[in-house]
Amino acid sequence: MEWYESGGLLLGCVVAGMALGFPVAFTFMITNVIGIFVFSGGWPVLPQIADNATNLITSFTLSPIPMFILMGSLFFHTGLAIRVFDALDKLLGKIPGRLCYLTVIGGSLFSTLTGSTMANTAMLGSLLVPEMTRRGYSKKMSMGPILGTGGLAMIIPPSSLGVLLASIAQVDVGRLLIAGLLPGLMLATLYALMITFLLWKNPESAPSYDVEPSSWGEKIYQICVNILPMGLVVFMVIGFIVLGWATPSESASFGVVGVVILAVARRVFTWVAFKTSLQGTIRVAGMVFFILMNSTVFSQLLSMSGASRGLVGWATGFEVAPLLILTAMFLVLIMLGMFMDQVSMMLITVPIFYPLAISLGYDPIWFSLIVLMSLEMAATTPPFGLLLFIMLGMVKGTTLGEVAMAALPYLFCDLVLIIILVIVPGVGLWLPSLMGT
Amino acid sequence: MLQTFDTMLGKTSTALSWFACALIPCMFLMITIDVSIRTLGYRPPLFTSSVVEYALLYMAMCSAPWLVRERGHVVIEALIAALPDKVRQVLAKIIYVICAAVSFLFAYLCWGIFVDYINGGELDVRGIDMPYWLQFLPLPLCFLLIALEFCMYIAGLRSYYTYDLGEVKDGV
Repeated sequence: MEWYESGGLLLGCVVAGMALGFPVAFTFMITNVIGIFVFSGGWPVLPQIADNATNLITSFTLSPIPMFILMGSLFFHTGLAIRVFDALDKLLGKIPGRLCYLTVIGGSLFSTLTGSTMANTAMLGSLLVPEMTRRGYSKKMSMGPILGTGGLAMIIPPSSLGVLLASIAQVDVGRLLIAGLLPGLMLATLYALMITFLLWKNPESAPSYDVEPSSWGEKIYQICVNILPMGLVVFMVIGFIVLGWATPSESASFGVVGVVILAVARRVFTWVAFKTSLQGTIRVAGMVFFILMNSTVFSQLLSMSGASRGLVGWATGFEVAPLLILTAMFLVLIMLGMFMDQVSMMLITVPIFYPLAISLGYDPIWFSLIVLMSLEMAATTPPFGLLLFIMLGMVKGTTLGEVAMAALPYLFCDLVLIIILVIVPGVGLWLPSLMGT
Repeated sequence: MLQTFDTMLGKTSTALSWFACALIPCMFLMITIDVSIRTLGYRPPLFTSSVVEYALLYMAMCSAPWLVRERGHVVIEALIAALPDKVRQVLAKIIYVICAAVSFLFAYLCWGIFVDYINGGELDVRGIDMPYWLQFLPLPLCFLLIALEFCMYIAGLRSYYTYDLGEVKDGV
């Protein structure tokens, strides 16, 4: 069978299964069984699927995923996240569009404390949208910054998706996590600049209002009590990696310990909050790990059938600039994101894209940043971007078109950052290079 | 009769999911203790990484039947939401049957591998040597429970699908 026929069969089965509504993990299971019958020895080889499926997830590099999700859940369920937002709110004072800036600052901070995009967007939306609506903010100004900032958790370390991507693509997890820091902060700055520009164009979209002034004493108190202690968690995750005290896989566990210490110190750590957080974690981590288990064999089948090798050979056989192929990969990710979740997109594209990118001479860490940025954009791309639906669920009486339009300026910021990364790869590679020295 | 069986199945799946939950604090405690011992200059236990690696597999498998019951395994409903009601119902039944069948198949395959490894006595060489059968211990039972959970959908006790795009399921 030609590589395009085998690739078409395997990818076609997965895409068709997902489109028909099969649970994603089971789509991979079914495709694997079909693949074994078509490309391998059928029945006698079938047990190999089950044998191989356990290999990838019994890997220590995946241990940060449940930890990062637990960190986010604990922040949310113990009420620590709300205290941080209250403190930031008091610090901002009376500036036009203050709730938009609060979204970007708070969202960036929360991104460094949790690795979940969905959790970030859901938390920002549930906290800030009702207040923005009450203050007369236009839908564009209330939903847009949240949609943009919510996705920051995908790139700012610690990022669950980053760990997942690094594990699947066999890229250094620590370097990838650290690489996301500078682009993530640049993106947050771009969002703030975009908000300033939109406010300058239409000041009425975020009317200013009187806020109860806070004394300097109260501001310092808020910083010391609610914001600075969060540095402990950031230090325990990122600091431990940079200082070489713990590997990225280990530092995630210290992050959880950090959150527990903070919650105990603030006397908000309850058995109910812990239990609810654990259940929330298992809901997400269990789902992701079960998909991973079944997708491993899919990647092996793609490789065994010659589809991956054939596609790489075909794509690199053209006399086109590598940048054009990079653009094509970016467009494929954006298109897949229109109807697929990030994990599924990664599992389908990584086995094909990474060999291609490496054969074109791209740095795997840098390429991973481009993939993460594309995934972030895809999550906010209509018609089926997941973050759009979170927002749609939270802002009653709004349409998908309105949500998508609100996200548009921030998608532009994402695109600008990707262009910056392409022109100046050092933006993403400088921090990881320091780790090497 | 079916209701009683479903209740028992639900209790088993939920109990396994709580076991999966309990593994998470065990993992982060083991890792933090291991790193702390190492940082203090002592020799950490060799078993930490192996146990954590196995715990990840157990966590995934033990939560899987409960996730089927709770509609926690992610599906893309956006495209089928546009189909007529009748077609969707038939399609859903076909999906339940295929998912149940493939889960039964995996339960059978994993049981075979489990028995083979027990008889063979092979070792999985990691931080410490683990008996290979330990890796496959939860698989036959969990795949069987997954298949039975899908059978409850076939029997019409629940529907996996919401067809409501406003309801967003958890994800990373």
